[in-house]
Amino acid sequence: MSQIKEQMPTLVMGGSLLMYGLIAKSGALLSMAQYLQTHKTLDLQITMTLVVGIIAIVGALFNTTRKSGTTKLDTFVLRPLGGIVLILVMAMAIRWYAEPMMKIISKNLQPALGFKIYKVLNLNYVVLGILAGVVLTNTWGIPKFAAEGVKCSRFVLKMGVIMLGARYSFAELAKLGVYSVFLVGFFVLGTVFLVLWLGNLFKQPKSMTGVLSAGMGVCGVSATVAVAPVVKAKSAEMAYTIGTILSFGIICMFVFPTIGKLAGMSPVQFGAWAGTGILNSAQVAAAALAFNAVDIETLKVAEIFNITRVLFLPVIVLVLATWFGKETGQKLSFKSVVIDKFPVFIIGFLILFFMSSMGLFSPPSHYKGKYIDVSYNDRSQVTPEEWETLNSAMTAGEFSGLTEKQLEAVTNLVEQHQIAGNFDDRADKKTFDSTGRARMTQLQGVLAAAKAKQVKLSADVKSAIKHAVKQVKKKSKTVVTLTDFMIWFFAFGLIGLGMQITKKAITQAGGWPIVMGVIAGITKATLSFFVVLWLVKDVVLN
Amino acid sequence: MSDEEKKVTIETGDAGKGSTAISEGANTEELEERALSVFSSDRNEDIVALVFCLITTFLVLVFTKWLV
Repeated sequence: MSQIKEQMPTLVMGGSLLMYGLIAKSGALLSMAQYLQTHKTLDLQITMTLVVGIIAIVGALFNTTRKSGTTKLDTFVLRPLGGIVLILVMAMAIRWYAEPMMKIISKNLQPALGFKIYKVLNLNYVVLGILAGVVLTNTWGIPKFAAEGVKCSRFVLKMGVIMLGARYSFAELAKLGVYSVFLVGFFVLGTVFLVLWLGNLFKQPKSMTGVLSAGMGVCGVSATVAVAPVVKAKSAEMAYTIGTILSFGIICMFVFPTIGKLAGMSPVQFGAWAGTGILNSAQVAAAALAFNAVDIETLKVAEIFNITRVLFLPVIVLVLATWFGKETGQKLSFKSVVIDKFPVFIIGFLILFFMSSMGLFSPPSHYKGKYIDVSYNDRSQVTPEEWETLNSAMTAGEFSGLTEKQLEAVTNLVEQHQIAGNFDDRADKKTFDSTGRARMTQLQGVLAAAKAKQVKLSADVKSAIKHAVKQVKKKSKTVVTLTDFMIWFFAFGLIGLGMQITKKAITQAGGWPIVMGVIAGITKATLSFFVVLWLVKDVVLN
Repeated sequence: MSDEEKKVTIETGDAGKGSTAISEGANTEELEERALSVFSSDRNEDIVALVFCLITTFLVLVFTKWLV
C-alpha cells in the first residue's frame, strides 16, 4: 500500500500527460496553440506527452510490484523516474506555455515600455527554467519522489553541451581569418586570467572563480556547464555565474549600441565589438540588431565573432583544469591534465563539431544549420504571380532608384526566376555560387534601402524579393532537429540545476562574484572597444 | 566504515531535515558532488552522456537524412 502511495505522484503525472496528449490529438487545443504561436509544435506535444505519460505509468506500476533494489535498473531508471517525469513536465510547461506567454505579454507591453521585456531580460527557457527550479526548491522543497530524478540533471546538461557542437562548423571559423581569431583568443584568455586574478584578490573560492572566468571569458551557460566539473563548481556557483552573465548582458544590450553610434563605428566594427564583448549569444544578436536593424552585416559579423568565442571552449577547459590542479596543490603532467582531467563530454562536443565540419549534417559551410543554396531548383523559384509582379515593376521603371549592381541582381532574378549565378558558369560551381551569393546580398540591400525609404517599392514587389531571398536560404533538418534536442536537454538540466540551489547557498556566495563579473565585463568591453576601433577595418572577413 | 574510524555528525539539508554520520577524513566535497548525481564518478557520467548523444545523433541522421 505504501508503495502505491509513493508512486502516486508519478501515476498522476503520467495520467495527466496522457490526457493532455489525447486532448491535443483531438484538435481541441489548436486555437490556443495558434494564439501562443506553438501550433507548429502540436505534433511534438502529442508525441512527447503520450510517450512520457505511458513510460511514467508503466514505470510507476512496475515500481509498486517490487521493492526498490540496488541494481543498475533501479539506480538509473526506476528510482529517478518520478523526478525525471516532474522535470519533463516543468520543461514542457515552460517551453510550450510560459515562454510563449512571456513573448505575448512582452509584445503587448512594448508600446508602453518602448522595448520587448522578454528580449531585454532574456526571459527564455534558460532563465525561466532555472527560476522555476529555484522557486520550487525554496518554497515547497524538492518532493521526496523527485529527489533521485533531480540528480540526473547535470548528466542531461552535459548532453546539451555535447549537442551544441553540431551547430557550428570550421568553415565559419575559416571565414573570419587568422587575424580575427587571434583577436578573439586574446580577449577570451585575457578575461579568464583577469577573473582568476580578481578571485585571488577578493579571496573567493577557487571553484566560484574558475566557473565565473569561463562564463565571462567564453560564453554564458555552455561555458559554465562545461567548466564546472574541472573546477568542482557547485550548482549555486554555476547559477550565480549564469545570473551575473545574463544581468551584465542586459546592460550591454542597451549601452553597446548607444556607444557604438556615438563613436561612429561601422557595422563591421560594431559587430566585432558586440561579438567579443557581450557574453550571451542571444544578447549579442539583440545588440547587433539594435545598432543596425536594416543592414545584416552587423549581425553576421557579431555572430561569427560569437561562434569563435564558443569554439575556444575546449581550450579554456584545458587551461582551467591546469590552473585548478596547480591551485589545489596537485602534481600535474601533460597526461594528467589532457587525458585524466579533461572532461570526456567536451570531447563529445569536439566530435560533433568535427562531424558538422565534415558536412555530415548539412553543407560544411552551414551556420547553425542554415546555408545558402543558389543552385537551380524548382523550390528556389519565385511563384508565377511574384514573377509577374517583378516583371511589371521592371517594365514600369519602378527600379530606377537602385544602384547598378542592385539593378543587375533584380534583372537577373526576373530572367532566371530565382537567385542564381550566371547560367554559363553553371559548370564552375565556385564561380556560380559566389555570383549567386553576391546577387542575394544586393537584393537584401534593395530591401534594406526600401525599409530606410531610400527607394520607393510597392509592397508586392518587396514581398516578391523577400520571398526570392528566403527561398535560397535553406535549413538543414538534421541540424534543426539536433538543436531541438539540445534545447530540451538544456531545459531539463537547467530546471534540475535550479532545484539544487537553496537561498542559503546563494547568500553564502555573497556579492563578490557579481563585483568580479562587473569589473571583468567592463574591462573587456572597454579594452575591446579601443582595440576594435584601432585594428578592425571594414574588411574583417575573408 | 570501520568502527575504529573517527566519525563526525553533519546536518543534511537546509531545512534541518536530519543528520548523518560520516568518517572524519571523508572528502566532503566529493561526497557532496556525488550526492548530486546518479553516477558514481564524473567519468562514468561523461561517457554515458557521450554514448546517448551519439545514439541520438545517429537516429536523427537516419530519420532526417538517410531515410528521406
